Amino acid sequence: MKKKICALIFITAPLLVIFFSLFIGRYPVSVTKVLQVLWSGNTASTGGPPDVLNTLIWQIRMPRAILGAMVGGCLAISGAAFQGLFRNPLVSSGILGVSAGAGFGAALSILIFHSVTAATYVFAFVFGLLAVFLSFLISKVYNSSPTIMLVLGGVIVGSIFSALISFAKYAADPYEELPAIVFWLMGSLANSSYKDILVAGIPMLLGIIGLVLIRWRINVLSMGDREAHALGINLAVDKGLVIICSTLAAAGAVCVSGVIGWVGLVIPHIARMLVGNDNRVLIPTSLSLGACFMVLVDDVGRIITGSEMPLGILTSLIGAPFFIWLLKKTKAGGW
Amino acid sequence: MALVEVLDGAFAYNKTRIFTNINLSVEQGDIFCLLGPNGCGKTTLIDCILGMHMLDEGKILINGLDAQKFHPGELARYVAYVPQNHERTFPYKVLDIVQMGRAAYTGRFSSPSQQDQDIAAESLAMVGLINLKDRPYTQLSGGEGQLVMLARALAQQTPLIIMDEPTAHLDFKHEMLVLETILDLVKNQNLTVIMATHFPNHAFWFENNGLKTRVALMHEEHFIEVGPPMDVICEKNMRLLYNIDTRLLSFRVNELGEMHQIVPVKTL
Repeated sequence: MKKKICALIFITAPLLVIFFSLFIGRYPVSVTKVLQVLWSGNTASTGGPPDVLNTLIWQIRMPRAILGAMVGGCLAISGAAFQGLFRNPLVSSGILGVSAGAGFGAALSILIFHSVTAATYVFAFVFGLLAVFLSFLISKVYNSSPTIMLVLGGVIVGSIFSALISFAKYAADPYEELPAIVFWLMGSLANSSYKDILVAGIPMLLGIIGLVLIRWRINVLSMGDREAHALGINLAVDKGLVIICSTLAAAGAVCVSGVIGWVGLVIPHIARMLVGNDNRVLIPTSLSLGACFMVLVDDVGRIITGSEMPLGILTSLIGAPFFIWLLKKTKAGGW
Repeated sequence: MALVEVLDGAFAYNKTRIFTNINLSVEQGDIFCLLGPNGCGKTTLIDCILGMHMLDEGKILINGLDAQKFHPGELARYVAYVPQNHERTFPYKVLDIVQMGRAAYTGRFSSPSQQDQDIAAESLAMVGLINLKDRPYTQLSGGEGQLVMLARALAQQTPLIIMDEPTAHLDFKHEMLVLETILDLVKNQNLTVIMATHFPNHAFWFENNGLKTRVALMHEEHFIEVGPPMDVICEKNMRLLYNIDTRLLSFRVNELGEMHQIVPVKTL
């Protein structure tokens, strides 16, 4: 019974937070007005007359909240999965170089096309996947202790792409391209559209579904290679699936939102404190918490700053005190 | 028919030969102790039986079937493993750990069923730790942790359990507790155990308690002798194996009768 109530809370929370965030922003709209607009539906899709309020709620706030929830959920879930897989609670969704790769991809596309375009998403996504694949190839060079080699591969690839990002900044035109690159790297959900949700949503959803399905196997994989093998696990297949799903989720998120730190590391820890370490519960909880956290942080950003403050800054500034408070409150959940 | 057989097994890491010409045969209900100095290849041999490595030469038969052709999921229904040093990372609950023993019976995209969870709880009860089921296993003592590993192996419901120095790092009492649990399981559940150990007296202890015990002395890539403890563990062989001087002692314990222990005296 208690389990069912918890499940219900974790499923409804992100929906409530998305709904709540429709009321928040610089443009003042009364609560009743928002409800009226929601009730009348999306006029842009039904071909009705264009209306400022309707556009604001349905075309700006709504897609932004939905995309924020998906990005936050994906970063958190892939971080949780990587922590289990690598048996290391300090690992985050970027461990195999996906963020660094995506960052370079975005920078490269900005260099080529001189501003953020649709190609930026594609480049970011492709280079994110490429980085993880390279980490995997490096781990194959030396074949004795694959898990640790994979982490090392990630470190190597991450540093290469970080260097390449610096090079891209160095080579960029300082008035147009450089600011675009810097802002992209700091992460933002501004200018989210339904198209972003549709395109980036495919890899994100695939990753989420895969990880939710395979979540108990992550428990077993976290026993280490030798024991997981003796327990009857096909290491290559199961590890491969976890890595592929986590990478799809993270790359999908990063390519639309830019590099947003902290969420992929700390949200899984907050989930660990709240519900324990069993991945059967931890994975869905991380998904839900990540989604809520990202949307809320974005709301706070819209309230306190007039201009668009990059999300990567706020996630840490808001998340860190909250994390410390939770550490004290839950006595770190048995660590 | 023997439950497990290794026929002319040989293995090398790259060019470094670890063992050659290994033959062993373990019957249902036996306890088979692998004895040998550090680095003699006991763990590698165990890894080969567990399917972590492929033998370079020879065969491993389980129930007469070629074990090296098994998928990990198939092998895990015949052989379970109790590690020497389980590194505890995340504070899972004790019962969550034992449930992992059901992985070979659980689909890739599912979680243990109610039946699997019941089997896990029964296994935990068999080692006497059911009252700890909801505790974080990182908070257990070394001995309790080892019993949880044993419970996880029991949850696999395999005829054979392989243990790598199951009593390493344990105090006297917990060492006995683990040995007594193994004894009870072999006697009452008709299990078979292969165990690597640094303590020749464990083999004597199992024999003294009425189990069919066999000892293999592993030295310089080979088994130098295989047989019952009383035949194999002698002052001459201990000198050969460990280069130490020992004495074999006998004494009577009322309910058990004649017992044996070998005691080190000095290095040579």
